[in-house]
Amino acid sequence: MKGWHVRDIIFVTILAIFMGTIFFVTGPLYTVLAAALAPAGLQPLANELLLGIWVMAGPLAGFIIRIPGSATLGEFLGAVVEMFFGGIWGASTLISGALQGIGSELGFALTGYKHYGWFTLALSSLTTAIVTFGWDMIKNGYASYHLGFMALLFVVRLLSIFFFGGVLTKLIANLLVRAHVLPSAAH
Amino acid sequence: MNPTLKLALVLIIALEISFTQVWTVNVVLLVVCFILMIAYRVKIKRLLWLTLVPLFFATALVWSLSLQGSASAHFLIVIFTRMFVYVYMGGVFTQTTEPLMLTRSLEQNAKLPSKFAYGFLAAFNLMPKIRTEVATIRAAALMRGQVLHVWSPQLYFKVILVAMNWSDQLASAMASHGFVEGAPRTHAVRVPLPTWNWWACAVSLLAVQLGLFLGLP
Repeated sequence: MKGWHVRDIIFVTILAIFMGTIFFVTGPLYTVLAAALAPAGLQPLANELLLGIWVMAGPLAGFIIRIPGSATLGEFLGAVVEMFFGGIWGASTLISGALQGIGSELGFALTGYKHYGWFTLALSSLTTAIVTFGWDMIKNGYASYHLGFMALLFVVRLLSIFFFGGVLTKLIANLLVRAHVLPSAAH
Repeated sequence: MNPTLKLALVLIIALEISFTQVWTVNVVLLVVCFILMIAYRVKIKRLLWLTLVPLFFATALVWSLSLQGSASAHFLIVIFTRMFVYVYMGGVFTQTTEPLMLTRSLEQNAKLPSKFAYGFLAAFNLMPKIRTEVATIRAAALMRGQVLHVWSPQLYFKVILVAMNWSDQLASAMASHGFVEGAPRTHAVRVPLPTWNWWACAVSLLAVQLGLFLGLP
């Protein structure tokens, strides 16, 4: 198992800033979506739909750097970037960022940081969805939704995370393998 | 106030109000934060932004909770005010803290290994370059008739290659300037941690505890 060196630390930070920059353009999309869904009382759905984009830095960093803690650090740094540059949610951004990172880290940790393939990414998506949903139950009162609506929110969240953190991450990793940046034995 | 201590205080209070349901404490906290922001001369535009955005999201969430859920009125008020506390506390913190001072303080006061502190700083200073690079990658693709979306793997692929390249170069540059991982360092700028900071932190926390657990609504 590798340890952290300055090069990896700089890499994960630059990656987090890159992701932050790319996702910055989705800010208006979120607002529009939330505003459109709000009158019907469905505003949380906007959050669930786009959550996958925001938690993507975690699985991506975990998959590429492969050092224990990289998914957590990648996602947490993304939150730090967001907090200092334009984000308004402050302290809660940091807490959510850390939890999202730990959520996706769990997926990699459960497979012992050895298998880098579909199974790990799917597991990581599931753990991220569970951890972040638990936090929203406490923080945003999701626990007091009716069971059906709560299930809908969870399924949408899981699908969004699986699409961005799972499918898209795997496609990116495939490109990196073809460019010989990542070892091809990634399975 | 010392940046590390301030960050810890903000995080602890944010965590505590997430797990408790006392709206009076929320209101007191947001009034205090509002006064602090005025005292630190936060711009009116920023203040307005920090108020209107959570106003929209808090209203939408409360509306959604009352339509799709079975929350009590008390809980709705708690959720509504809680969102403002997060935003206002974050506002006080980011408007009074420089990222550079925070990193220095984390290294000196919180004993964060210097490789992390300087690694973060090196990358953060690339911020403007990173913004330009994303625009460049998009424009270069457009010239070939390729539109890169948020869901295009190619966009991330290129970004990752650039990040690898830059981190290699920055790490070698730091090494060639004499940065040795784990070596003892001296500090050009000392971040003070005076005793009154500890007192201020302790008193604020105590006040919050009293408010939360004294049976206020």
